[in-house]
Amino acid sequence: MAAGHDEAKGNGFVGWLPVLLSAGIFAFFLQFLPQIAAGDTLRVEWAWAPSLGVALSFLVDGLSLTFALLISGIGTFVLLYSNSYLAGHPQYGRFALYLFSFMLSMLGLVLSDNLIGLFVFWELTTLTSYLLIGFDNESPKARRSALQALLLTGAGGLAMLAGLILLGAVGGSFEISQLVPQAEAIKGSGLYVPILILILAGTFTKSAQVPFHFWLPNAMAAPTPVSAFLHSATMVKAGVYLMARLHPVLSGTELWFWTLTIFGAVTAVFTSVLSLRQDDLKQALAYSTLMALGTLTMLLAPSSGYAITAFATFLVVHSLYKAALFLVVGCVDHGTGTRDADLLGGLARFMPFTAFTAALAGLSMAGLPPFIGYIGKELIYANTITAGDAATFVTVMALAANALMFAVAGVVALRPFWGKRGDTPLEPHEAPWPMLAGPMVLALLGLAFGLMPLLAEVNFTTPTVAAILGDAEKAKHLHLWAGVNTELMLSLATFAIGGLLLALYRPVRRFLEAADAATPSFDNGWDNILDALYRAAKWQTGILQSGNLQRYLFTIFATFVVAVGGTLLLKDAVNLGVALDDMNSPRHWPELVLIVAAALVTASSRSRMLAVAALGVQGIAVALIFISFGAPDVAITQLLVETLVVVLVAVAMLSLPFLDERGKNDRRPKDMVLAVLCGVVVSAVLIGVLQGPLDLRLTDFFETTAAPEAFGRNIVNVILVDFRAIDTFGEIAVIVVAALSAYALLRTTDSSRDRDEEEEELS
Amino acid sequence: MISADIAIVLPEVFLAVYAMAALLYAVYTTKDKAAPALLWATAAVFAAVAIWIGLSGGPVQTAFGGAFVDDGFARFSKVVILLSASAVLLMSEGYLAKRDLLRFEYPVLIVLAVVGMMMMVSAGDLMALYMGLELQSLALYVVASLRRDSVKSTEAGLKYFVLGALSSGLLLYGASLTYGFAGTTLFSGIVQTAQGGQLPLGLLFGLAFIAAGLAFKVSAVPFHMWTPDVYEGSPTPVTAFFATAPKVAAMGLFARVVHDAFGGAVGDWSQIIALLSVASMFLGAIAAIGQTNIKRLMAYSSIAHMGFALMGLASGTEAGVQAMLIYMAIYVTMNIGTFAFIIGMEKDGRPVRDIRALSLYSKTDPTGALALLVLMFSLAGVPPMVGFFGKLSVLAAAVDGGLAWLAVAGVIASVIGAFYYLRIVYFMYFGEETEALDKNGSPILWIFLMGSAAAMVFGVFNLFGVDTAAALAAETLVR
Repeated sequence: MAAGHDEAKGNGFVGWLPVLLSAGIFAFFLQFLPQIAAGDTLRVEWAWAPSLGVALSFLVDGLSLTFALLISGIGTFVLLYSNSYLAGHPQYGRFALYLFSFMLSMLGLVLSDNLIGLFVFWELTTLTSYLLIGFDNESPKARRSALQALLLTGAGGLAMLAGLILLGAVGGSFEISQLVPQAEAIKGSGLYVPILILILAGTFTKSAQVPFHFWLPNAMAAPTPVSAFLHSATMVKAGVYLMARLHPVLSGTELWFWTLTIFGAVTAVFTSVLSLRQDDLKQALAYSTLMALGTLTMLLAPSSGYAITAFATFLVVHSLYKAALFLVVGCVDHGTGTRDADLLGGLARFMPFTAFTAALAGLSMAGLPPFIGYIGKELIYANTITAGDAATFVTVMALAANALMFAVAGVVALRPFWGKRGDTPLEPHEAPWPMLAGPMVLALLGLAFGLMPLLAEVNFTTPTVAAILGDAEKAKHLHLWAGVNTELMLSLATFAIGGLLLALYRPVRRFLEAADAATPSFDNGWDNILDALYRAAKWQTGILQSGNLQRYLFTIFATFVVAVGGTLLLKDAVNLGVALDDMNSPRHWPELVLIVAAALVTASSRSRMLAVAALGVQGIAVALIFISFGAPDVAITQLLVETLVVVLVAVAMLSLPFLDERGKNDRRPKDMVLAVLCGVVVSAVLIGVLQGPLDLRLTDFFETTAAPEAFGRNIVNVILVDFRAIDTFGEIAVIVVAALSAYALLRTTDSSRDRDEEEEELS
Repeated sequence: MISADIAIVLPEVFLAVYAMAALLYAVYTTKDKAAPALLWATAAVFAAVAIWIGLSGGPVQTAFGGAFVDDGFARFSKVVILLSASAVLLMSEGYLAKRDLLRFEYPVLIVLAVVGMMMMVSAGDLMALYMGLELQSLALYVVASLRRDSVKSTEAGLKYFVLGALSSGLLLYGASLTYGFAGTTLFSGIVQTAQGGQLPLGLLFGLAFIAAGLAFKVSAVPFHMWTPDVYEGSPTPVTAFFATAPKVAAMGLFARVVHDAFGGAVGDWSQIIALLSVASMFLGAIAAIGQTNIKRLMAYSSIAHMGFALMGLASGTEAGVQAMLIYMAIYVTMNIGTFAFIIGMEKDGRPVRDIRALSLYSKTDPTGALALLVLMFSLAGVPPMVGFFGKLSVLAAAVDGGLAWLAVAGVIASVIGAFYYLRIVYFMYFGEETEALDKNGSPILWIFLMGSAAAMVFGVFNLFGVDTAAALAAETLVR
């Protein structure tokens, strides 16, 4: 909590407007309830970017309406709560804007029927969450956590985008409702595995499954109402939501079943152990949220009625008690100035309403009758014992997770309020009613649904099951008492183990702390990954981007050798035998020796002048080859060009600095190797290429017309001065102009040289 | 006959004549004193020609025996080129004037470069291609070293020139191989030789060399090395220019060559472009992470973005060309806004290029920081900013063209790339306390920054119809 603001002043209009707006949204969605409960679905659509197949289409069915009501309902209470929690905060307007935008994005996410539209809202929730986690931007921890959450969920989201696009390409549409009938074709396609992996990468990071779970506890740097809303009741469930939404399209395969079962079960148990280890109440709740997310993921693995009914029930159960408990922890923090489990105790006397609410929510979390939490737990067990191959594994995991949750519920909801009074920084005082109203209503709803399970069944669980499985008949009934059966035995075992853990709380926690300290942390792993990324960036810059022109050229030529040479080898186009036949006679040997010697001198010389001259010699040797093959016209041209080049380059070099004579950084051996490779590759290309059919129409034309029409036997000459006379004229003009400008430039460089020194780096 | 040809190339002729007239006028009158007026006039001329070309519709026309093609694709690219050049000219005035760099040659050189670019996107012949390319490049080599007294700026120009000359050499070598085997330099003639999916070896190497030359111009890896150095060394408004119009022209030319000249052998070039694309996306994304100089960072950013645009091209379909055009139009708009901001980054009147100087900029200039935030999110491709739709369209085109692996690689690269854009946002909003930058003072820069950011937000409603225009343009290229 940022200090230094005037609580008495309140937030006025800015504080109340979002509360009213979100209450209105809640009422708007509530009116659909009878219709959806009766088995209907609604769909509306507007074109958006039609050429890209993106539409703004919304689907209201049991699943999306359940989510929409949870989002807008809890959102209303959270906004009401924040108005008191952050009363008089100078930035409250900004906060309310972020929170309200988040709510709208989340609603868009769960209602969207278009995969791309859904993705847009998905990323919007990531962004608004980033802004909300980093709301307290004075704290480095908040900034780090915000960036971590953004990068991790953003990365997962983008991977998911690739999966969604592939899914749209395979299924022929971006509309989820049109993909459902294509489910078999999608599962049968070769792209099913990449689609599933990419989409699960998105949902697992968003819903914080192990090993991506570490961002969520860190995200608790956000103000408490934000944690209650985003990081427990809504945003983190987006991943679970998407898995449920795509359940009809993607589920039913071994890969789906085992991936979700294993990740879900491991997350549930691993994080509930960590939850018991925390001393900050908020952190304990954060880890217990991870347990719930793991359980929900696990429940989505099979396609049985029990599993999905359990999913729908536990979804509602968890949102109700977890939001309530977070808000209660906020009240405790607000009323006492601390959230440390070790400092708190005996608060019931000072904060009776908070204690009452905490007890209600805590009992639901512990899964005790007659709360809906109990029904949820019974259904989970009913699912696990019928899970076929995986029955033993998932039952044991569920038992462990639930027992640990029982203990955590005791730690969070009971210990601070009963027993000996602790030593708190502030004199404990009760929270104001706007902060109590929300949690209390949510906690009471948990009791009401438990006492009247039919209410939840008709309105929420059965329509949700119908939306996921496509058949309302598959939904199971919600009972408080289903007779003495295995589920009941498992529940009793849960209470026994949980109670034992609670009784041994302090030694257990000490043991967990020691164990935690001894194992490597995921959070540090994250830092290591970022460091590695920096190092990779530095490394490549050092290698490729040295600023040295010679090295750039080296890279380009090396790429050339690898790419072209590789292609030649792959295409099996190397055929040197043919070409060398002509050169086999001894009369060519002097020319060859001259060429090789000149090339060696060029490459090894320390003097530029010598190198250029040697290059000229090499050119002249090439001209000799032309002569010996009976093409004197080409040879003469070659000779002239060579001479001109040597002269021009030599003139230019007069005004360049000398090479490094001492040769400290001798690049020549490396360069020579590269040059040889380049030469080999170019020769191979030419020889390979020349074996194909060359278009000789033009050659034939000049051969036949040169003498009769232009009266010359030197074909090159004839082309230059007759057939292409105007071109030649233009070229001469260009060379003259270029020479003049070069002359002018070279003359002026001397006078401007001293100005370089004064110039600072202004660019 | 010739008058009909001239009528088709009238916009180019008009601009070329304008450039020469402007040069003569300034030389014989007040020289550099005429520069501001000349700059404004040039920007206005660009905008007017853009409107002229944009409004002229009509069927595909060719001039000079097919060497020059005027179709929807060329018109779309030209409008983007002209408008972005006009915007960059306007943005550069204040900066250049303040540093005594506003030479009258500057607008003239820009006009010549733009004429070259217009030739490039209209090229229907290897000769026309090379002419356009060199006209553009020669003008750009000179503007890169506009600050001719500065070692860094001249070094930038020289590096650009040497590597550019090398790439021109590669391209010419490829062109002569192509000519040798196709017997013609006309694209419409080459495409007939290259029918039937499998290219003869000579044409294949011709294509590979031409692609290497063009890859240099779009700064695709591994021909990208000039980009960070030239971006850093050139005066910032010139960098802004490099990052916008020439990229569009080079991508347009690339699309033209592969579709018009080698349209029959999609399989062969699709692989080459896909490799360039994936290398550029990854190198651009990873290398930018270590940068603290914002101009170098934008250089890597543009390398990565070109990788994405190439992804659209690699798919070898009409949808791919459309996606590439959408991508380029969005890219240019984002970059204009971002560079408007960078040009205005100053402390005590001196330019600052270190991104750490942006720390807590949101406190000194909340609106400017918000606009840059929008642009950074858009560059990173985060929805709902328009930049996301650009990415989406190329990804969808790649999947559609059977290059799902490329799309997946692209997504991974954009995840890595998002990191450095977000780092800028992070500095602006959560950085450490430092000496604040000056508030962006120039109204022109401010307008471009805000306009571009607003376009990134409000464009999500219908992309301002760019997608339909791009679809029409792509239709004329891919037949």
